[in-house]
Amino acid sequence: MKLARKLIWDCEVKEIILSTNSGQIGVLPNHAPINTAVDMGPLRIRLLNDQWLTAVLWSGFARIVNNEIIILGNDAELGSDIDPEEAQKALEIAEANLSKAEGTKDLGEAKLALRRARIRIEAVNWIPPSN
Amino acid sequence: MSCSHLSTAWSSAAKVRRAQEAVVSSRPFSEALVEVLYNMNQEIQSEDIDLPLTRQRAVKRVAIVVLTGERGLCGAFNNNVLKKAEARMEDLRQLGVDYTVISVGKKGNAYFQRRDYIPTERFLELAGIPTVKDSQAICDLIYSLFVAEEVDKVELVYSKFVNLVRSDPIIQTLLPMSPKGEICDVNGICVDATEDELFKLTTKEGKLTVEREKIKIEMQPFSPVVQFEQDPVQILDALLPLYLNSQILRALQESLASELAARMSAMSSATDNAIDLRKNLSMVYNRRRQAKITGEILEIVAGADALSG
Repeated sequence: MKLARKLIWDCEVKEIILSTNSGQIGVLPNHAPINTAVDMGPLRIRLLNDQWLTAVLWSGFARIVNNEIIILGNDAELGSDIDPEEAQKALEIAEANLSKAEGTKDLGEAKLALRRARIRIEAVNWIPPSN
Repeated sequence: MSCSHLSTAWSSAAKVRRAQEAVVSSRPFSEALVEVLYNMNQEIQSEDIDLPLTRQRAVKRVAIVVLTGERGLCGAFNNNVLKKAEARMEDLRQLGVDYTVISVGKKGNAYFQRRDYIPTERFLELAGIPTVKDSQAICDLIYSLFVAEEVDKVELVYSKFVNLVRSDPIIQTLLPMSPKGEICDVNGICVDATEDELFKLTTKEGKLTVEREKIKIEMQPFSPVVQFEQDPVQILDALLPLYLNSQILRALQESLASELAARMSAMSSATDNAIDLRKNLSMVYNRRRQAKITGEILEIVAGADALSG
């Protein structure tokens, strides 16, 4: 996974669930080669030891070829790095700002911030499937 | 006293190297992005592209993003950028085009805050080496302004890193973007996204110099087997904001490198001047006056060193 600033992940995994503009897709080994836009949303990764990891991705692009997935994004946060209290506060602030926003630009920014805050809360609260 | 100038010059050299490393570490991302952008454009006929960020319309209002430094003691660095910005504002006034300034950097912020008659949109500051969060803040702001049609064009004024002695303020058009990712200046002169330049801080005959190297990014064409999950135009729509962000980050990094080089150059001149001054003073046999003057120079140097710290 590459951030605009640096390479932040490079390892083998079992399964990846990615949010795209056309819905969530699950990626298992030998997935058909595709290019896809990545939507703002959770990224769930099942490691080789069956542990699940969550991260939050902001919009970007992903390419899957030959069992290798490259995700280009501006920013990503590991679920484990998100402080639940801080995320909750951010959500409350975003909701307050939305009700105060006026004008296309401010409304656009406020909606975006709210969506981000909701996704981060979701990432923190997610319980991995047990199998 | 010349030692403290030298130590400031050397710490600036270390900072230039770190700034340079930041550019180098961003390269895998920018290269991958340019490659994908190129391939996406191959898939799409240019006439079909009408995306929010590429839309050209009649220019009634321009947002000018101005990159300056956080500190002084770097010679004419900040003044050169601000002069270039002022000249651009004058050009726009002549054309009857409205403008607003987004100032990035304490020095520019102070300049614009003292001048009420210049319309400003926002003031931003950086804390150390520019990060994605910094470029994202600028990107989000100009994105909203442009898409909400509050401005019809976004330009960026900053100092390109030429060599240790010279920096060169340029004006780059950020929005509307070219779908191919070409980087254009306000005169319409464009550089292909696949051409890049690396600058390297090295030594030559014991002196610090900068080497510039033009690099052409090799394009690996997409295998025809690879499918598109969404319409290629939709995918391009997701790529362009990423590309915009990386362009802004790159400009922030280059501006910082120019600033550090300018500071090193200014410190080096100050050292040379101090050495000359000492030679002339030693000719005058007047102990008390000599001691007082030497003391004052030390104070100035210590103060300058603390400021540039």
